[in-house]
Amino acid sequence: MQIRTLKDALSFGDLPASERIGFILFIIFCLIFPWIIKGGFAQAVMVQFLVFCLYGLGWNLIGGYGGQVALGQAKNVGMSAYTVALLMVRWDISFWASTPLGVIEATIESFILGYFLFRLRGHYFAIATIAVSLVWQQLFINWNFVGGARGIELPLREPPNFIYMRFDSDIYYHYFAFLLVMLAILYMNWFRKSKLGYQLRAITSNEDVAESLGINAHWVKVKAYCITGVFAGMGGAFYTVYYGYIDPFSVMHLELSIMIALMTMIGGAGSMWGPIIGAMILIPLDRYLGAWLGGRGIIGVDFMIYAMMVMIISAYEPRGIWGIIEKARRKR
Amino acid sequence: MGTKRKITGRYFLKVIVGLLVVGVALSMGFGMTIAQPPEVKIGVIYPLSGPVAHAGKMSKDAVALCVDYINNKYPDLPIPIGNWEGIPGLNGAKIKLIFADHRGEPDRGADLAKKLILDDKVVGICGCYHSSVTKTVSTVCEKYKIPMINPESTSPVLTKRGYKWFFRATPHDRIFVRDFFEFLELLTQGKVSGVKAVPKEEIDEIGVCTENTEWGAGTRNVIKEFAKKYGYKIVSDVIYAHESPDLTAEVRRLLAPKPETLMFASYISDAILLTKTMKEFKAKANIFWSQDVGFYQPKYMETFGPAINGILNRTVFSKKLFAVKPVAKYINVEFKKRSGVDFMGTSARAFTGMQAWAYVLNKAGSTDPEAIRKAAETIEIPGKELIVPWKGIKFENVGGETNQNTWSSGLIVQYQAQQPEIIYPLDVATAKFIYPWPGLK
Amino acid sequence: MEMLLSTTISALQMGLLFALVALGLAIIFGVMNIVNFAHGEFLMIGMYTAFLTATVLSVEPLLTLPIAAMVGFLLGIASYYMLIRYLLKGPMIAQLLGTFGLMIFLRYLAMCIFGPDYKTLEHGWLIGKSIKWGPVLLSYPRLGTAVLSLMAFGIIYWLMDYTRFGKALKATALDVEAASYMGIDTENMRGLAWGLGGATVGIAGALLMNFYYVFPTIGMLFCMIAFATVALGGFGSIKGAFLAGLIMGLIIDLGGTYVGPQYKLALVYLTFFLVVAIRPKGLFGW
Repeated sequence: MQIRTLKDALSFGDLPASERIGFILFIIFCLIFPWIIKGGFAQAVMVQFLVFCLYGLGWNLIGGYGGQVALGQAKNVGMSAYTVALLMVRWDISFWASTPLGVIEATIESFILGYFLFRLRGHYFAIATIAVSLVWQQLFINWNFVGGARGIELPLREPPNFIYMRFDSDIYYHYFAFLLVMLAILYMNWFRKSKLGYQLRAITSNEDVAESLGINAHWVKVKAYCITGVFAGMGGAFYTVYYGYIDPFSVMHLELSIMIALMTMIGGAGSMWGPIIGAMILIPLDRYLGAWLGGRGIIGVDFMIYAMMVMIISAYEPRGIWGIIEKARRKR
Repeated sequence: MGTKRKITGRYFLKVIVGLLVVGVALSMGFGMTIAQPPEVKIGVIYPLSGPVAHAGKMSKDAVALCVDYINNKYPDLPIPIGNWEGIPGLNGAKIKLIFADHRGEPDRGADLAKKLILDDKVVGICGCYHSSVTKTVSTVCEKYKIPMINPESTSPVLTKRGYKWFFRATPHDRIFVRDFFEFLELLTQGKVSGVKAVPKEEIDEIGVCTENTEWGAGTRNVIKEFAKKYGYKIVSDVIYAHESPDLTAEVRRLLAPKPETLMFASYISDAILLTKTMKEFKAKANIFWSQDVGFYQPKYMETFGPAINGILNRTVFSKKLFAVKPVAKYINVEFKKRSGVDFMGTSARAFTGMQAWAYVLNKAGSTDPEAIRKAAETIEIPGKELIVPWKGIKFENVGGETNQNTWSSGLIVQYQAQQPEIIYPLDVATAKFIYPWPGLK
Repeated sequence: MEMLLSTTISALQMGLLFALVALGLAIIFGVMNIVNFAHGEFLMIGMYTAFLTATVLSVEPLLTLPIAAMVGFLLGIASYYMLIRYLLKGPMIAQLLGTFGLMIFLRYLAMCIFGPDYKTLEHGWLIGKSIKWGPVLLSYPRLGTAVLSLMAFGIIYWLMDYTRFGKALKATALDVEAASYMGIDTENMRGLAWGLGGATVGIAGALLMNFYYVFPTIGMLFCMIAFATVALGGFGSIKGAFLAGLIMGLIIDLGGTYVGPQYKLALVYLTFFLVVAIRPKGLFGW
């Protein structure tokens, strides 16, 4: 059973050769990136890209495969980030011990919410997740124990420190984030061939039919939502040690949830590579164009380009860029 | 089927390779910098877009003006930098500013700091307005051992972290709040010009109203601490959400116990809405004191005109200083010509911050970070060469704080006939204090 | 007691405004089952329209209402024919995220044109005036807003229940196919529903301009309150939006006064969540 799982996760044999080549190129690119590109900003953007890959891959599970528009990723990110930061600052617990706790925290929260919210369908579910994440943000802003609006700052430690994940250079963070993304990709690879994956897709295409086939739709959705929470939790823990400072406005913001969903949507929700393609386009666009325009005092053009892309894609090809690629492929 | 797959494979390969090439080209293109010797680069990070962009823009203009004075010859300028033509200690090297826009997001600020330090190879950083962004940016500076001078973030925590590469020129909220309570004490002793001794019972019931982000929450704690220390009672304590749709409930709650002294910490949007709501409520109190920022901006003054007369503000700058500081007057004329507004607290501090950078570089005589840090630790800039009314700039480690400018000080100003008149410190006061607060007319 | 009375009165005034903001959202959702995330941005554009008309032509802010309504109407129609029509063919995820795209686009377009500054109107018949009526403080702009929003509700109610247009709209909402067999031009009905939604929120924006400031990212906040209102009242119900708006006003003001201002938004969102989770169709939902 375990070996079967491992084999499923590691085997990409059922994908077309082109996708396998693309995947290998992606791995090589990420591996050699710090050595061929020396720019500090490029490196920082790359780390950001990897973090968003992680968020996107997680969201894709519920939003893409599951077809449920959950717009509360930020609260899972924040939940885990806060747990990790609190444990590290108040009780000096190492990153490696506090991260699992943070992830568990985010997962439990997802479970409880998912359990209650998945009785809702469609728009109601989407709106309820927004409401919950707003409530959490407001509570964290006013909760003094977690620093309230002032946030939490991690103390500086002598680098390199593997116990508290404090490094001088972004290279360490790059490889750590890359490792997380690789694990996420392998998990997704297993997931799409797993029972859960098939059940989820059956529910997406027709929930009533799936139910009549004996699938407990509610339970499957809750499970998928919990896994999404795990991904977001890992991203949140990483964010905490990477920036060393969190506040309710940076890790619990609704805009973060929206950004994650839109990014996956542009790349192609419900496809293996969609989230990565989305992040590959949007993160450099956001950071580079933002830095370039901001230095010149031009405001908002990057967001307008981004919004145009979202509108065009959702109107003409809801399956995103991946959908366009597949369409082109089928035509040949 | 086989051939079909091959072709699509090639197609997809092309897409991926294309994306990679574009990615690499972008990163290299932006990563490249063109070196132009005798130049010393300083990175300036401000919120140039986003909700507080107007403050960022004013600071940017002030910093740019300062650098213009340093780099070019202005023989009429009454302070030494007018004759410098570059940094004398660095053989006349010109300062080149590289601006970055953090939009008020701490993570974006940190990424941009990396860009400035690693890609643009700046010798130092100046900024960042928001205390939260200053936190992450100073952490990056500390990591890469690059000095940072912060002209305007007032969160007391910033200098309490033991950072060696972070220097703060402005007084922080503790100093401002302490000044205010000192002023109240002087008021009860009858030492403030224009009023007889005010019995303490008339002013000792305080209503505090602060916004709920980092800055407001911090200020509130400090106010509570000093109120206890000086023996004042806090009768109403209101925290509101920044950018609320409606502040009626807040104002009602604030005014219900009839506080005698009102204290505010608000950003501009909230300050406008609060003042409007208080006007509708016909709010009455004896003293109305606010913490610069929202209540002390050209926009605020033009919005309310004469209605705001009598409101007190803490700040570091006022036009009224021109009487005692001709240099400030001289520079303000040029600033108004270039940016369309007078110097206010934020922009004057940004100007001073950049000036501090120039002096530090001059003293260091090298662009080596360690030399710059040493120079910053030992520098003493006399107050007469600054536009702000401080004793000067000297970064010291005192009372658990590191590299705080201990020669800095705050002012308390009162709007009188739409002009901020200086009330405190008493020796530079430009007008008589109006007591009690006449209310919002 | 006095405090309770004056709080309740100002809460109801604010509530009427929230109801008017939410009205457009309720109409749109009722007719075609789509959630418009750009609704707050429509409000923002209504506010800017009022602001610009009032300052550039220096007219009384209250007289800008028809212009704001017109701009809102055109904006709604344009959004429908240029974007929403295509979104409706796609899956739900595309509908949600497509209106998100519209929201971001409008917001940053405003940022580009008007800059990030806060703008307020300072002169007008109502602005900055208030009257003390016993223990109760009545602020003219809020009172005026409440009265006008009540009138707007009246007009919409009449339009929906007593005109052919309203009946056609209701028919479209109930069953598109059946309505089109009856000879109703459902496509244009839907466009008009968007126009109507835009017009009501445009009016709300112009009213809000009398006592509030405008800046490009203002939409999100009011949009969330409008969502909460619509969720409480029931998606698609005009009567529901009206009552729920009043309830929202009461929650915000009473909660802000008695529980603590820092929790008032949390209370709004919590109500929102509880309603959606416990009674998804709201008070009067279909």
